[in-house]
Amino acid sequence: MNARRGWFLGALSLSVVVALAIYPAFGTGYGVRSTLQIFMWIALAGSWNLISGLTGYVSFGHVAFFGIGAYAGAILVTSAGWSWPTAALAGGVAAVLLALLIGYPCLRLKGPYFAIAMLGLNEVVRALVSYFEGLTGGGNGLSLPTADVTRSIYYVMGLLAVVIIAGTYLIITSRFGLRLMTIREDEVAAEAMGIDTFHHKLAAFLLSAVGPGVAGALTARDQGYIEPISVFPLAVTVTMIVMVLFGGKGTVWGPVLGAVALFVIQELVWAHYPYVHPLLFGAIIVAVVLLMPRGVLGLLQLKYHLPRTI
Amino acid sequence: MTVVLTPEMVGQVLISGVLSGALYAMVALGLALIYGVMRVINIAHGPMLMLGAYVTFFLYSRTGMNPLLTVPVAMAALFVVGVVLQRTLVFRVVDAPELSSLLLTFGISIALVNLAQNAFTSDLRSVEYITGSWLIGNFALSKPRFIAFVFAAAMTGVAFLFLKATRLGKAIRATSQSREVAMVCGIDVARIHLLTFGLASALAAGGGALLAVIVAIQPEMGGVWTFKSFLVIVLGGAGNYPGALLGGLLLGLVEQLASLFLTTQLSEVVAYVLLVLVLLVRPTGLLGGRQT
Repeated sequence: MNARRGWFLGALSLSVVVALAIYPAFGTGYGVRSTLQIFMWIALAGSWNLISGLTGYVSFGHVAFFGIGAYAGAILVTSAGWSWPTAALAGGVAAVLLALLIGYPCLRLKGPYFAIAMLGLNEVVRALVSYFEGLTGGGNGLSLPTADVTRSIYYVMGLLAVVIIAGTYLIITSRFGLRLMTIREDEVAAEAMGIDTFHHKLAAFLLSAVGPGVAGALTARDQGYIEPISVFPLAVTVTMIVMVLFGGKGTVWGPVLGAVALFVIQELVWAHYPYVHPLLFGAIIVAVVLLMPRGVLGLLQLKYHLPRTI
Repeated sequence: MTVVLTPEMVGQVLISGVLSGALYAMVALGLALIYGVMRVINIAHGPMLMLGAYVTFFLYSRTGMNPLLTVPVAMAALFVVGVVLQRTLVFRVVDAPELSSLLLTFGISIALVNLAQNAFTSDLRSVEYITGSWLIGNFALSKPRFIAFVFAAAMTGVAFLFLKATRLGKAIRATSQSREVAMVCGIDVARIHLLTFGLASALAAGGGALLAVIVAIQPEMGGVWTFKSFLVIVLGGAGNYPGALLGGLLLGLVEQLASLFLTTQLSEVVAYVLLVLVLLVRPTGLLGGRQT
């Protein structure tokens, strides 16, 4: 990347960050809330990209980490009286522990085992959360003490999104990231080159669980009330997948592009057609896989010889 | 909580386990066929089962057709749907990385479920055909479940005979052993892929049609069947077709046994724990890896 383009991109990102930082001072409630949601989707899509975009192991159940983070955060705030920022970190830890529990048996194996295990994970965690009523309130849900913290959560969620974008950049430009992408391209060859594929996949998976866990806990605090059907919907996983595939999997900015683009389209157009929403998403997945497997950013990279670190 | 196991309870568990196991085996055989022949895990397998269930429901409620006679109709209809899906979409990802085929069939799956929700609504529907149980000694034998068992066992048997004894069946097994060698032997591999996807979808649809007689159906019923079918083929050994039978029976028995100790709310958790344990201890399955 030449120096002038570097300066330009640096100045551009700085002005975007500054604009977003002062936005809540004059933005409308709806605007702030929507931007907060975009931050959340960037964090979720960026996290899914870490495991599925980089290693090629598809996670069909990433919303389970969001949900477990939401419940861990909410329980710590209501029952243990923790402050919400610490509870948000604990939400991330809870998600990592769950990822370890599933990743350890499933990622030792090559092939579709991991994907199917993740497909079932969400339903199972939801059933368990509903079952342990004493702790979670069961189907009645869990109410958090009222607090108007949307603006603070706006900044924390924004920080989370930035951390995940920066983390993805650091990973993609590191030897660790190269090894992950080697696993994606040819796992047997990666093994033959001496890469400890199991531990690399597991590390990527654990990292990919942190973001959804923290985001879940933050969302729980922001909304003040959670129940099993509100924090474990399959639709959240589907949306993450669509965003990353559309933007470009395995890239730094692809998930950001996908999150912003799809969120805006969703708010402006598809909100009017709620009944066919999943049908559209299913069709997008099929179309992107068949026609544009690298996503929008991947196409641009190929066409304009952009660096891999975009 | 202590549960005292009486011989009657054990017998009842065995009966119910075998009854539901045959259905698992039949549906899972379909998933195993697609995986064996194309190395594709069809996430849309459960939604195909759901469509089969709706064929039975609508034929029964609109035309009053005997539900058991609708089973072959559902299978034929979904055979066609399977062939069309393979011909238009799935064949493009057969040689692609696993990520592509998983995502593609996942996309198909959510689209099918949403189509069904729009076309059929999300209401629970049921086919009230045969109800009640036979009492044999101390054991109860649910009539609809027993009939479903007989059908499922018969169709699984026919499917195995087809694979074992007919030329097409042999061609399918040959393709799943080695596509290149099959091709060299003059087998039209693309046609075998079509046939396999059609057959697999028909097996799923048969399972769905029988399920419609047993339980209430709704568009999202399929998801758990994709998962359980996969569990069954992992239990038996992926790519090992007779393994699907053993895996199905085992899953049926374990679920019924667990229902003695746990609420039915947790039955999916039991299946899940079983999958994780098998992957941890013996990922090649009980009968070992790929033989056909």
